Amino acid sequence: MKRHDVIIVGGGHNGLACAAYLARAGRKVLVLERRERVGGAAVSEEVFPGFRFSVFSYVVSLLRPEIIRELELPRHGLHILPLESTLTPLANNDYLAQWSDHDRNRAELARHSPRDAEAYDEFGLLLHRMARAVKPLLATAPPDPASLRPRELLDLARLGKYFRTLPARDLNALWKLLTMSAADYLDEWFESEALKGTKSASGIIGTLLGPRSPGTAYVLLHHYMGELDGVFRAWGFARGGNGSVSAALGAAAQAHGAEIRTGASVQRILLSSGRAHGVVLESGEELRASTIVSGADPRRTFLGLVGEKALPGDFVESIRRYKFRGSSGKVNLALAELPRFTCLPENGPPHLNPIYRGAISISPSVDYLERAYDDAKYGEISRRPYMDIIIPSMLDPSMAPPGRHVMSIFVQYAPYHLNGGWSDARREAFGDTVVDTLAEYAPNLKRAILHRQVITPADIERIVGLSEGNIFQGELTLQQMFFLRPAPAWSRYRTPIDGLWQCGSGTHPGGGVMGASGRNAAHAILGRRA
Amino acid sequence: MSAALVVGGGVDALVAAHVLARSGMRVTLLEEFASPSAADGWVPDEVARAVGISDLVLTTPDPWLRAVLPDGGTLELWRDVARSAESIGRASARDAAQWPRFCSRMRALAGLLERLYCESPPSLVELRFALRVRALGRRGMEDLMRTLPMPAAELLDDWFECDALKGALGALAVRDIQQGPRSAGTALRLLHLHAGSPAGVFRPSGSNFAERLKALPGVVLRNARVKRVVVRAGRAAAVSLDDGTEIAAQLVVSSAPPARTLVEWIEPGWLDTDLTRALRHVRSRGVAAKVRFELAQPCAPLTLAPSLDHVERAYDDAKYGRVSQRPCLDLTASGAGAEVHFQYAPYRLAAGEWTDARRAALADQAAQLLAPHLPTITGRSVAAPPDLETAAGCPQGQPHHAELALDQALWMRPLPELARYRTPIEGLWLCGPAMHPGAGVAGAAGYNCARAILRA
Repeated sequence: MKRHDVIIVGGGHNGLACAAYLARAGRKVLVLERRERVGGAAVSEEVFPGFRFSVFSYVVSLLRPEIIRELELPRHGLHILPLESTLTPLANNDYLAQWSDHDRNRAELARHSPRDAEAYDEFGLLLHRMARAVKPLLATAPPDPASLRPRELLDLARLGKYFRTLPARDLNALWKLLTMSAADYLDEWFESEALKGTKSASGIIGTLLGPRSPGTAYVLLHHYMGELDGVFRAWGFARGGNGSVSAALGAAAQAHGAEIRTGASVQRILLSSGRAHGVVLESGEELRASTIVSGADPRRTFLGLVGEKALPGDFVESIRRYKFRGSSGKVNLALAELPRFTCLPENGPPHLNPIYRGAISISPSVDYLERAYDDAKYGEISRRPYMDIIIPSMLDPSMAPPGRHVMSIFVQYAPYHLNGGWSDARREAFGDTVVDTLAEYAPNLKRAILHRQVITPADIERIVGLSEGNIFQGELTLQQMFFLRPAPAWSRYRTPIDGLWQCGSGTHPGGGVMGASGRNAAHAILGRRA
Repeated sequence: MSAALVVGGGVDALVAAHVLARSGMRVTLLEEFASPSAADGWVPDEVARAVGISDLVLTTPDPWLRAVLPDGGTLELWRDVARSAESIGRASARDAAQWPRFCSRMRALAGLLERLYCESPPSLVELRFALRVRALGRRGMEDLMRTLPMPAAELLDDWFECDALKGALGALAVRDIQQGPRSAGTALRLLHLHAGSPAGVFRPSGSNFAERLKALPGVVLRNARVKRVVVRAGRAAAVSLDDGTEIAAQLVVSSAPPARTLVEWIEPGWLDTDLTRALRHVRSRGVAAKVRFELAQPCAPLTLAPSLDHVERAYDDAKYGRVSQRPCLDLTASGAGAEVHFQYAPYRLAAGEWTDARRAALADQAAQLLAPHLPTITGRSVAAPPDLETAAGCPQGQPHHAELALDQALWMRPLPELARYRTPIEGLWLCGPAMHPGAGVAGAAGYNCARAILRA
């Protein structure tokens, strides 16, 4: 039997990133993936003949640049195409377009509110500064503030020292971002409903919270952390779909000697006298290694693969309390023609209009989003949901047959805990709600649809294995962040089981196809500082 | 002897005035609003001692909470933890077993707040604060970090299953804040209410503190409405009143809302525009109305908030500027009648102004909901948020002057630049409920402010 140093459970992007770093450091690494393809929620699949989709996650922005650099991802096939704009169609046949080009953006904002156009630059500078302050923390294994171990104390002191270097003003601004609602925060800056709606939408993604819920302001920062090619605020699309991110990470891992096995579903982690020393596959096969790393979420890892009997009671209690509450779904459409948004002025064929190469956001106002949340809060699908849409075939024509298009619609809210539970009928009803709402803005949509794939949080859980379909492996709320993620005292990728580590988004700094958890975990396993 | 003017009114102003007077200053208190007769909130020993009051009379209703159960019975929470558990046990045996544990965990956390409340707020990166948090031990620290940013609903769901219990405590946790129990930070609000009370009591005692303060000698009291704080060479030099008189002072201490003090009373130009802009953004939305019922017989307290969802839905109405269709009502006995806290009744209504017809409709709504549980109602009066603004100077009817949310608590209260009671105008200080620790801790902001002045 071939002997490995490290077995990584789950070939999602974090598992692959972790594998690549460990292999690069000379460890013999084996990645076990349950599905027939790696990538977890970052996969591209030809769902309908000729039509390829980023089935689940669909944009790239937060992928850490050091990972792209250190693992030479472009050499392994990663090519990111920028999304240059966001279009917010409005009910009164108007729209708000935001552009990555500064002057164009300012002119468009001024059309809605000259005051907002003025405030926008100052707002951007502040958030940019905050994002810079936070960025070093993304690559840090959070110390345990209650520990007395010298190394933790040292790291704690180092962290304290870092915070002391920040001007008090920035620190306070950061605290506001962490604790305020996106709506309250934006109200301090802007007056245009369309702008506030679209900006606050980034705060609610992946959580069962509304734009008026405290804690949602923080995620505004993420938009300013995306830094493709060193340009702030850039979002991009990976050529070939988000599966290309996973493919590049996998190729990098393999190039460093890691072995990847697909169709290998881990049933349980083998323990003896409190130490992890291998895994059992569903086929019954046993594989051994001195280090086991789980990329699965905390619930699956600890309550599933390990089993609560082997774990301390307090820890089990923390993992049980850890909140998932998936709230988002996807609708993927194969289209015979592009949707025509009636709010846009008629100027030539849509496929030549650059706005279709950007994102489209159905978020006309904060109240619109809040009402969508009100439905979900009590266990219903939003009657008029928030949507974040891209048309990948406009950026990468290979995603669809010539002249045809694919459309990726991220939808919120579709609560995992739906009253009465999810069924095929409810799934289709959810798809209908999405298409009906969107068709109000683009009436030709319905007849353009050739095929439709609807994905609910229950589907995400079943197919990808993310508990309750939470796309971040657990909500990114204040009480589940930094040294509390996923459980107090266990935020440094270690677990109460010797030899067992975690590397998924359920650890700091969390989801968003950042890859930071995988990289940080690898560094922790290697005993290095990131 | 230096002359100090304390302006505003309320318990904080009284405490600040007396602490300063006892240090030898000549103090005049210009009361803009009649001080309330019953101090609302916990009176820390340290604060009472600082003004030389040692014989406070506390009113401690027992049970301190009575919630209606779906079967028509009631659930009572008593000052005695075991007795409460017994009452809870009629609805849920599991919750009855949890209650004593919940109470002792919450007590430990409130203990930390109590210590933080009687001094200037800590700074986020202060070592002293870090060490004090560490002194709570691993369990306490983890509880603190998890609990403070939590939604009250999540905290209560973690511990209990009985809707009546969770609803009633959830309603307390969102008291006077434009948030629902599912909003992060509302668990802090519940702890704030717990400060100063024994384990298992989440409602501060009433006291005769304000009455005693008003009877204390040593401070000149005067009714007056302030028009301007006169600034000369960057220093507060005098206060000019509505009637045109000007009173010179070396020191001006204001318990009025910060925006009023610094934007309305100060000539424009003395302050940084960044600060005035931030002051305008201090959130102080009034969300509750008070209804007073005269009753044929005395009654026990009563809370109508049957579940967390009920409280949350009541909040949903407020988000869109509506009075809750199904409000949370909290009735406490007061004199010969009862006072009802009616939440949510937002200051700004989407439908228009607060008219007498709307006030009457609100009172009808409260009377109708409470009638099955009350003796005959013989009279009533209503104070909507705008009335609280006119009568007590609460901005938008918000008794805390600045909503007690995570981003407006401790070192952020009401703004980080002002959290230490000092303002950019030399000789001008803030001591009102908008300051740390805020309303609900009687006189602590006034006491902390006066101490900061004396140390300066």
